[in-house]
Amino acid sequence: MKKVVGWIDQRFPLTAFIKHELTEYPTPRNLSYWWNFGSLAGVVLVIQIISGIFLAMHYKADAALAFDSVEHIMRDVNYGWLIRFMHSTGATAFFAVIFIHMARTLYYGSYRAPREIMWWTGQLLLLLLMATAFMGYLLPWGQMSYWGAQVITSLFGAVPFLGDELVIWLRGDFTVGDATLTRFFALHYLLPFIIVGAVLIHLVALHQVRSSNPSGINLADKDNIPFHPYFTVKDLFGLCVFLTVYSYFVFYNPNLFIEADNYIPANPMQTPVHIVPEWYFLPFYAILRAVPDLLGGVVAMGISVMIFAAMPFLDRSKIPGGARYRPFYRVMFYLFLLDVLVLGYVGANPPEGYLVPLGQVATFFYFGAFVLLPFGSKMEEKWLRERGLPPEIVALMEGEEAQKQDRRKKKERRKGGVVSDDE
Amino acid sequence: MMNKTASIISIFSMLFIQSVFASSSAIPLADIEVSQDQQSIKRGVLVYHNTCRLCHSMKYIKYQHLEQIGFNESEIDKLRGNALKTAAMTRLMSDDASYELYGMVPPDLSIMAKARKHGPQYIYTLMTSYKEKDGVYSNTLFPGIKMPDVFDGSTYTDSATKVAIEVKVRDVTEFLTWSADPRAAERKNLGKYVIAYLIILSTMFYFVMKRVWRRLDE
Repeated sequence: MKKVVGWIDQRFPLTAFIKHELTEYPTPRNLSYWWNFGSLAGVVLVIQIISGIFLAMHYKADAALAFDSVEHIMRDVNYGWLIRFMHSTGATAFFAVIFIHMARTLYYGSYRAPREIMWWTGQLLLLLLMATAFMGYLLPWGQMSYWGAQVITSLFGAVPFLGDELVIWLRGDFTVGDATLTRFFALHYLLPFIIVGAVLIHLVALHQVRSSNPSGINLADKDNIPFHPYFTVKDLFGLCVFLTVYSYFVFYNPNLFIEADNYIPANPMQTPVHIVPEWYFLPFYAILRAVPDLLGGVVAMGISVMIFAAMPFLDRSKIPGGARYRPFYRVMFYLFLLDVLVLGYVGANPPEGYLVPLGQVATFFYFGAFVLLPFGSKMEEKWLRERGLPPEIVALMEGEEAQKQDRRKKKERRKGGVVSDDE
Repeated sequence: MMNKTASIISIFSMLFIQSVFASSSAIPLADIEVSQDQQSIKRGVLVYHNTCRLCHSMKYIKYQHLEQIGFNESEIDKLRGNALKTAAMTRLMSDDASYELYGMVPPDLSIMAKARKHGPQYIYTLMTSYKEKDGVYSNTLFPGIKMPDVFDGSTYTDSATKVAIEVKVRDVTEFLTWSADPRAAERKNLGKYVIAYLIILSTMFYFVMKRVWRRLDE
C-alpha cells in the first residue's frame, strides 16, 4: 500500500492534496450546523445526477411518448418509482438546501470580503440550478409542465425588437412542442455537468479563502481545526439527518411536490385553471406578476434573482458577524425572509382581490431592503460605534485589523521592499 | 439555536401546506379515508368492469397486473374475455360512438386518483354528488359534467340502496387509488426499513461525532 502511494506521489500529488485539502485543511472550530448545507447541496447534486442518468435510460424525449414513459418508469421498471421520486423530491430538496445555504450566508455576512467570488460563483450556481430545474420540469410532459414552459418561454417575448423571434428560437417552434421537449431534455442532461464544473470553482475559491464562521472574522490559527475527522463526521451526521427527512418525502409523501395537474397529459388545447410554477419559483413569479407591464415584470424578476450578487457592495458595515452583532441588519434579515414567504403565498394563488396589492407591496419591500441596505448598514455602524461596541466585537475587529496588517507586511516583505529590524 | 431551526422548518412547511390547499372546489370533498383493503380493491375492479368500462379505459393497467391485488388466473381469464393477459384494460365504446354521445372521449381512469387534488376524496364526492330534478341530472361538484349518474344515487331514496351505492363508489375509489399508484404499498414498506436504518445511522454518527470532538477538550 505504502509503495503504491509512494509510486503515485512521485507522479501525482495525492498525499499532499489529501493533507492540504482534508486532513490538515484548517476549518473554524465554531461552525454551527448551518454550515452543513454546502456539503449537503453537493450530495443532493450527486443524487440528482445519478438518479437522472438512470431515468434517462428509460425516458423517451418525444411529445407522443414522454408522459407514458414516465408512467412506465413508475410502474414497470424495477425500482423505477424509487428513482423517479428520488429525482422529483431531489429537486425540492436541492432548492430547500440551497435557500438555507444562501440564508446562512446572508445572516452571517459570509459574502463579505474576501469571499465575494464564492458568493458570485454561488449566484451562478443558483442560476444554473434554476435553469436546469425549469427545463427538467417540462420532461414529464404533464399539463403543468407544458403550460409552465409555455408561460415562461413567452416572457422572452417582452424583449424589445427581438422578442418574438427569440421565443420561437427558444422553443424551436411557434408553441411549446416536440422540438422544445427534445432540446430541453438535451440541455437538462448537459447543465448538471456544467454545475459540477461551477461547484469545483466554488470549492477552489472556498479552499483559498476558507470557511467563514459565526464570528464573521478570520480566526486565529488556534481556533481552526483540521477538516478531517472533525467536519467529515459532522457532515456525515448532518447528511444522515437530511437523508432521513428526504426519505420520508420520497417514500411517504412523494406527490406532495407534484401538482395534480401534472398527472394529466399535456394538452395544448386546454389551459389549466391556475398555472402555478414549482414552489421554489413562487416568490420570483409573484414579483413578475406584481409589475403591471410585462417587460417591467420580466426585468423585475430578473433583478430579483440577480440582486444578491450586489450584496458585497450594498452592505457597507465593517462590523463582523453579520446579523449576529447587528440588530438593524438582523431585523431586516427576518423581515426579508417573511417578505419572501408572503411573495411565495401570493405567487401560489391566482392574482385576485387583496393579493394583487399585497404582491405589489411585498415586491416593493423586497427591493426596498436592498436599496435601504447601503445607507442602513452605514448608519447602523455609526450608531453601534457611538453606543459603544461590546468588548468582544472590538476584540474581533482588532484581530481582523491585525491580521490584515500582518498580510500587508508579508506582502511587502515578499516584494523585497521593507525589511523589518528583527530579521 | 433550536428556535432558529424550528422557525426555518415552519417556514418551509408553511410553503408546502399552502400549496396543498391552494385549490378549493365548489363544495367540500367527502372526508373519506383510503384503506387500500384488498377485498375492497377487488370489488372495485368488478364495479369498474361492470359499469365504468363501457366508456372509460385503464390504459396503464394490464389484466396481468390484477394478480398484484389477489386475483387468481381463472378470475383474470373471466374478466379479460378474448383480450390478451398482457393487454391493457380498454373500454368498450368506440371513439366515434363517444363523440356522438358526449362530444368527447371520456378520460382514462388509471391515474385519475393522482390527477385531481385529494384524488380519492374527489372521485368519491363526484360519484355521490348527483342530484335529480324533474328528470334532469346535475352534479354539485362538477356542474356541466357529461357523465350520467351511473350508480343512480340521485334517484334512490331508501337508505339501504343508498348505502349499497356508497359501498360501490367506495370500492371503485379504492381500485382507482391503487391503479394510480400500484407501487404505493411496496414503497411504504421499503420506506420503513430505509428510514429505520437512517435513524440508527444518524444516532451512531451523532455519538461518533461527540466522541471525535471530545478530543479537542483534552
